[in-house]
Amino acid sequence: MSKSLKELRPVYVVGIGLHRYQFLSDTTYVDLGLTAVRAALADANIEWPTVESAYVGRALLPMACGRPILRHLGATGIPIAHIENASASGSTAFRQACIEVASGTSDVSLALGVDKPMAIARAEGLTGIGNLADDAIAPFTHFALLADQYATQYGVRHEDIALVAVKNHRNGAKNPFAQHQKERTLDEILGGKKISGTFTSLQCTPVGEGAAAVIVASEDGIKRLGIAASRAVRVAASAGRSQKVNIDATRYDAVLTKETAEIAFRESGISPRALDIVELHDAFTVEEIEYVEAMGICGEGEAISRLKDGEFDIGGRCAVSPSGGLISMGHPIGPTGLGQIAEIARQLRGEAGPRQHAGARTGLAHMVGVGAVCYVHILQK
Amino acid sequence: MTAPDLLKPALYRAEGSDTDPDHPALLGGACECGHVFFPPQTYGCERCGRMSLATRALSGAGKLLASARVHLHGGKTRAAPFTIVSVRLDDGPIVRTLLAGDDAVHPGDRMVTMLVPVTNAEGAELLDLRFVPQR
Repeated sequence: MSKSLKELRPVYVVGIGLHRYQFLSDTTYVDLGLTAVRAALADANIEWPTVESAYVGRALLPMACGRPILRHLGATGIPIAHIENASASGSTAFRQACIEVASGTSDVSLALGVDKPMAIARAEGLTGIGNLADDAIAPFTHFALLADQYATQYGVRHEDIALVAVKNHRNGAKNPFAQHQKERTLDEILGGKKISGTFTSLQCTPVGEGAAAVIVASEDGIKRLGIAASRAVRVAASAGRSQKVNIDATRYDAVLTKETAEIAFRESGISPRALDIVELHDAFTVEEIEYVEAMGICGEGEAISRLKDGEFDIGGRCAVSPSGGLISMGHPIGPTGLGQIAEIARQLRGEAGPRQHAGARTGLAHMVGVGAVCYVHILQK
Repeated sequence: MTAPDLLKPALYRAEGSDTDPDHPALLGGACECGHVFFPPQTYGCERCGRMSLATRALSGAGKLLASARVHLHGGKTRAAPFTIVSVRLDDGPIVRTLLAGDDAVHPGDRMVTMLVPVTNAEGAELLDLRFVPQR
C-alpha cells in the first residue's frame, strides 16, 4: 500500500535562502546558487557538512549545474540529483528532498533552484507530431486566450482581471528579493506595452535569473543539530500530478490544479478556506483568478469580486502571492517553486516584515509546468 | 493552372470531411476507445494507450472559444500583429491557429477553415490553413 508524505516521518522546513530575482546579468549561476544556499544554512544555523543530500531544480541551465555550485561549500561527497520539471522544477526538487527525509534516507536535505535565461529547445516540439501554428502561440497567448474565455464565461471586464497585477506589484514592492519592486496603478498596468490579447507587460511575469534554497530536516535532525524548533515549519502535504485527457483540452492547468490541490487538502486535513497564505503560479494575471477558484479558495466565477473586496490582500481573508508572485517577484524557472516555500515559511514564522500577513498559520505553494504537470505543497506552523 | 501545394499536408486537405464537405478538413485521428484527437499521431492513444489509431478527417467548422490579438512575436517567420483563435471543432477537438483577415470575432461565433496563400522560407507560394467567421 503506498503512503502519502504525511504518513511517513514528519518533515520540517528549517532553512530558507534566496538570491534576488533579477534581469539577466553578469552574475554567474555559481554566485546565484551559493548566495541562496549560504543564506539557507545561516537561516537554519547549521554547517554545510550536516546536509546529507541535495536536489537541484533547474530548467534552463545545461546538464549538471549542481556540483559546480556546491563544491565551493566544501565537497562533502553527498548525492546530488538534478530535477528538470519545467516551471515546477523547484517544487519537484522540494518534494524529492521532503520524500528523502520523510523516508529516513536523510535527516537533512537541500533543495536548490537556480537558473539563468538562455535559449533552449522544448522536447514538446521534437516529438515528430505536427502542429498548425504552435510557433505563433507563446505562453502569453495561451493564457490570453484563456483570459478571453474566462471573461466571456463570467461576464467580467479585462480591467478587472488586471487588478491581480495591481495587488501583486503592491506586494512585490515590499519584497527585497523581487525582480519588480514598484507599486503600479491600474492605469499604469493597462497602459503598458501590449503583449497579447488584453495582456500588457506588467500583467506578465518578467524573464529573469535568481536562486532559492530550502533546507528540510527530520525531528531527529532538528534535535541532533540543535536547530531552533520554534522556527521550523511542518510540511503537511506534498502532491504532484500530470495532465490527463480533459474535455476542455486548453484549460488543463486549472483542471490539474483542482485535482492536485484536492490531494494536498485531503492529505493535510486542511480545507482550502482555512488557508492563510497562497503562493501560486501567476505568470499571467488570469492564472491567479482561475487557480484560486480551482483550489476552492472561493467559488467558481467569484474570484474577481473577492479580489475587489480585498480578500486576497495581505491582511485579507487569505493573502494570495504576498511575495509579489511570479508577476512581481519574478519567475526565473528553477528557483520559483522554492522561492514560494521560502515566502510561506517566512510568513508562518512571522518574519515577513512589512508584508507580514498577521497570524498566518497555514500556507499553500502551487506550481504548474509545461507538460503539463502540477505540484502543490501545504505548510503548517 | 493547378492550386499551390499545401504547407502542412499531413494536417489538413483541400477537400472537406463527411461531416462538413464545404470547408477544408483537418486530418486528426481516432481510437477504438472513442477518443478523437488532433493533430494526428500513431504513437498510441493518449486516453487508453491502444496503438490501433486511425486517421480521421475532421470537420472544418466549429465554434470560437476565444481569440487573442498578438502584438509581440519573437519568431522571424511571422510579423505581429496577428490573431490567434481557439476553436472547438464540431467533431470534438479544440484547435488553435491563425485567423485569416482582420474581422472582429467573438466567443460563440461560428468559424470555418479556409486555405490562404503563404510564402515558405524558400520563397515558394503554398497554401496554409486558417479560420474565418462563417458567412
